[in-house]
Amino acid sequence: MADAAVTASAPELQAPALLPPRSLLRQLGGDRTALAGLVILVLMYTAALAAPMIAPQDPNEQDVGNRYAPVSFEHPLGTDNLGRDELSRLLYGARVSLFTALGVGVAILAIGIVVGSIAGFAGGFVDGLLMRIVDVLLAFPSLLLALAITGMLGPGLLHLMVGMVAVWWTDYARMMRGLVLSMRERPFVESARAVGLPGRLVASRHVLPNIVGPVIVLGTVQTGRLLLALSALSFLGLGVQPPTSEWGAMLSEGQQYLASAPQLMVYPGIAITLAALGFNLLGDGLRDVLDPTMEH
Amino acid sequence: MTAFKGSWSGRVVALGLLGAFILPACAVGGESDGGSPDAVEQKLVVGADEDGYTTEGAEADVGQYPLNANIFESLVRMDESYEIEPALATSWEFVAPNTWRFKLREGVTFHDGTPFDAEAVKYTFDRVAKTGGGTPGFAKNGTKVIDDYTVEVTPQFDNRRLLEQLVHPSYSIIAPGSSPGKKPIGTGPFSLVEYERQQQIVVERYDDYWGEPAQLDEITFRFLPDPNARRLALEAGEVDLVLDVAREAIPDLESKGFVIAESQPGAYSAMYLNISGQKGYTILQDSDVRHAIGNAIDRDTLIDGIFEGLATDEQTMVPSRLLGDANASKVEGYSFDSAAAAQLLEDAGWTMGSDGVREKDGEPLRLQLINGFPSASDHGAVPEFIQGQLGDVGIEVEIVKTPDTASYEERLAAGEGDIWMEQGSQNDANPLFLPALLFWSVGLFGDIGYQQLFAPGGEFDVLIEDALATPNPAEVKELVGEAMHVLIDQEAVVIPLAGLYRINVLTDEVQGFNTQPSGLQIRYDTVSMGNGAS
Amino acid sequence: MASYIARRVAYLIPIWLGITLLAFLISTLAPGDPAQIYFQRTRGRQPTQQELQIVRERFNLDEPVVEQYLSWLSGAVRGDLGVSFTTGKPVLDELLLRFPATLTLAFWATVVTVVVAIPIGILAAIRRNSVLDQVTRAMSMLGASIPSFWLALLLIILFSVKLQWLPASGQQGWESLILPALALGLGDAAVVARLTRSSLLEIINEDYVKTARAKGLSEGRIMIRHILRNGMGAVVTQIGLAFGFLLAYSAIVEVIFVWPGIGRLAVDAIGQRDYTMIQGFVVFAGSIFVLINLAVDLSYMWLDPRVTLSGDKAVAG
Repeated sequence: MADAAVTASAPELQAPALLPPRSLLRQLGGDRTALAGLVILVLMYTAALAAPMIAPQDPNEQDVGNRYAPVSFEHPLGTDNLGRDELSRLLYGARVSLFTALGVGVAILAIGIVVGSIAGFAGGFVDGLLMRIVDVLLAFPSLLLALAITGMLGPGLLHLMVGMVAVWWTDYARMMRGLVLSMRERPFVESARAVGLPGRLVASRHVLPNIVGPVIVLGTVQTGRLLLALSALSFLGLGVQPPTSEWGAMLSEGQQYLASAPQLMVYPGIAITLAALGFNLLGDGLRDVLDPTMEH
Repeated sequence: MTAFKGSWSGRVVALGLLGAFILPACAVGGESDGGSPDAVEQKLVVGADEDGYTTEGAEADVGQYPLNANIFESLVRMDESYEIEPALATSWEFVAPNTWRFKLREGVTFHDGTPFDAEAVKYTFDRVAKTGGGTPGFAKNGTKVIDDYTVEVTPQFDNRRLLEQLVHPSYSIIAPGSSPGKKPIGTGPFSLVEYERQQQIVVERYDDYWGEPAQLDEITFRFLPDPNARRLALEAGEVDLVLDVAREAIPDLESKGFVIAESQPGAYSAMYLNISGQKGYTILQDSDVRHAIGNAIDRDTLIDGIFEGLATDEQTMVPSRLLGDANASKVEGYSFDSAAAAQLLEDAGWTMGSDGVREKDGEPLRLQLINGFPSASDHGAVPEFIQGQLGDVGIEVEIVKTPDTASYEERLAAGEGDIWMEQGSQNDANPLFLPALLFWSVGLFGDIGYQQLFAPGGEFDVLIEDALATPNPAEVKELVGEAMHVLIDQEAVVIPLAGLYRINVLTDEVQGFNTQPSGLQIRYDTVSMGNGAS
Repeated sequence: MASYIARRVAYLIPIWLGITLLAFLISTLAPGDPAQIYFQRTRGRQPTQQELQIVRERFNLDEPVVEQYLSWLSGAVRGDLGVSFTTGKPVLDELLLRFPATLTLAFWATVVTVVVAIPIGILAAIRRNSVLDQVTRAMSMLGASIPSFWLALLLIILFSVKLQWLPASGQQGWESLILPALALGLGDAAVVARLTRSSLLEIINEDYVKTARAKGLSEGRIMIRHILRNGMGAVVTQIGLAFGFLLAYSAIVEVIFVWPGIGRLAVDAIGQRDYTMIQGFVVFAGSIFVLINLAVDLSYMWLDPRVTLSGDKAVAG
């Protein structure tokens, strides 16, 4: 539901001047919002990576006699319906949820940049064709389209990722094309051309560096949205298969025990919200830093 | 698109008109039964599973199956012990070689006023014959009107079990010339008020019922496919009675003061093992591995922990109540013994690998579990529990979810899977039905997909064929008991997990509700609404 | 203006064809033989070779893919989306039967969004950088981060299970509309509030507002005369877009609340691998979105005369 905001504005993003990385970090440090987002994400991704070391139990180890156990030293968040350690499942689930979202994010970024650049630089028929494909995909709510594709392919994490990648690359492609087109007309690019610099050099020297900012902003918010979409599709049973834990799937399982053991659906919900919040805060802060003229 | 353009675009563009379009739509949904708590209205609202009715053509069965809305009645019915009782037929006899003669009840009328007679029975059974004849195998022209109240039925094949099969609501009698898909007209204690697909079916008392008229004025069956939604609807006071509540919800509902109505065991949870799989699914051809699976499962924990204590350790598949204790005791079943399971696997050449998964000739002991029939959600956490249990003895299990029966059967037809999770119910009084349908290599209806994976042949087939041939119900039960012993203990094709009973949950206002081992046989004419105990 | 509208509508045709192609391609992704699946589902048994052939002919399954698409498309153009694999009824009838429920839900969710978001957005814009503004910002961040299906479950726990004020499922009058509309609308309200605030801020900073202020017009008058009037175009557009998104995101909320809309229909169809239904749903929903998109564009143009008539704005997802 957060889609409306960013996507609607994405094609209109203007490329800001690129800040050197060090000053970027320093500026981020000054922005409390961005810093909060960054801290949340760093903590969560670190915890996910370190899950095998910090998880108190094997996430798949069942102890049915000890199901729905309350909070204890051994089980810091209690146990689920099969007596599995809830915290360990959350930590291992983080690996799937966070890195799948990131993986899909990187994949669509790559596809979007390639398609958008081709369209922007080539123009003409190629541009028209690619952009009509984008228009068709954008004419449809991504979540429903991903749902239909994954549903047809059958449940499974790989199919889910395929379904998501197939529909979500369009925002980047559109933005990329817009940026390339606007850059091409900028005075410094035209003058670089005029002095006879080859096209590729112009692209790598002048155009690409100028689009890193908007891409980072969109990418951050986008990954948050991917995480939400992933959880939603997973919640509908299209994602990982048991016994693997994943936040959306845990929520879906927890839903069965909604009245008797609500904590089982509360924990993964908090985890998803927190991670999505991390991305949104960071994205918001980055936008302020990278592009102070935009206020959203 | 052009098709919609004329009708839709105009509405969507104009925001003002949009509102005008939406408001009436709300009014349609705005009808409410209110359900005021203090008035003892004789109205019952039932939370039922998803709407499974077929609404088209000769197979239409609205009100009949799978939800028996008590609009229709069969020639005979069965009690909680699977004993046959008269209903629309008052007596019957088997006439050799293959004919059943029924004397019909007089003075019965359909809800539209037409009298019930032999023509109605002929109309009904001929209609079933058009679509293949159903389980009893009704033949075209196989039903003969002898006089107004006598009818003779001669099935397509030798069928000694026809009487026990007729209790199934699919063979309940419909008014001549009618179709349940257009308007369900039966002789039952309730007649149709309204049917809204996927939403609800509403029935009211039929005052001219031939038996004791029902006490309720009206019953609304709401279709709530999600078990969780059914349960929440009960807790929120939207329904008075919920059919087939998930077991994990029971302790909580009980503590909240709801009445738990458990039936006699009439269903089972079991795994069927693929004994003749093709490439990729050959591991379970080895009987030792199959027996090891049987021994690897701790049924006590399964029943206490996963089924919440609301299941029995019956391992006969066919309910022991139907088979009779003596016949049921021929089936030994499996007890939990992981050492024995490990030994069987060792003997079969599967040695423990470093990652906790056994191996043979470099191949891991990895099995695919298909979850399941009738749907994945029916099995709750059982498959994951099995996955854990088999993991403990070094068998890696991959769970494949099939969301509904159709996708399960597609998978079955393709033969892709090692372990098949099933819940089955005994829906008529014929103990031979499921064994002959699923595991007899000839198959009651030929190869329906199960035979190619699960039919052991040999002695099992001989026992089933003998049972099919005998007209004596006692002998049938004996033979089926032996056949189940072969199928379960010797061949280990079926690994029973638990005997199941139906669990319905009601508010304390619902009086006189009688459970039935088969959900298809629930009767609502004895139910009434009273003031709750509180 | 008329020519712009004509151009804008003409532009929809290739997009719509693209949607039908997409819908068709998606259905070819499914594994298995559709003829066999159809037969098994409708008859409950394995088909013979001859029966398979009959089904294939009926659904044109043995024609080349291109011809299959064209014959399906020619049906779709006439409003014939085929029959459902599971119920045997026309797909379009099923969709139209369920669509009002989805529309009702999306409409009331939009009402929730508007009622919550617009006043907050206006206040936040007027009292920029106040505590209220900061709280709005924090709330909108949170709102954009909470999964709507989780919010739905939390609302059920609170209002249905604990307090027992509102029903958790079904379509039993106004009460059962409240929770799904809240679950859908609240998250979106957060985003719309932020957008309202920023589009009002843009106007507040514009010269004519400054001029008006310099002329000594009262703040309330400035707000009504200039800011709201000019800002509402953008806000209405946002609401239009939001309405589209609510339609989309209602699928999961419909599943949770057992709401009989097209979203739940689609999720069920996916579970049952009802190919024709999924195909029909993709075309239907795609068409609705294209039209909403168009409506938003045109109303934006109408409400905000400053907008130039060149670029095409698309609803994105």
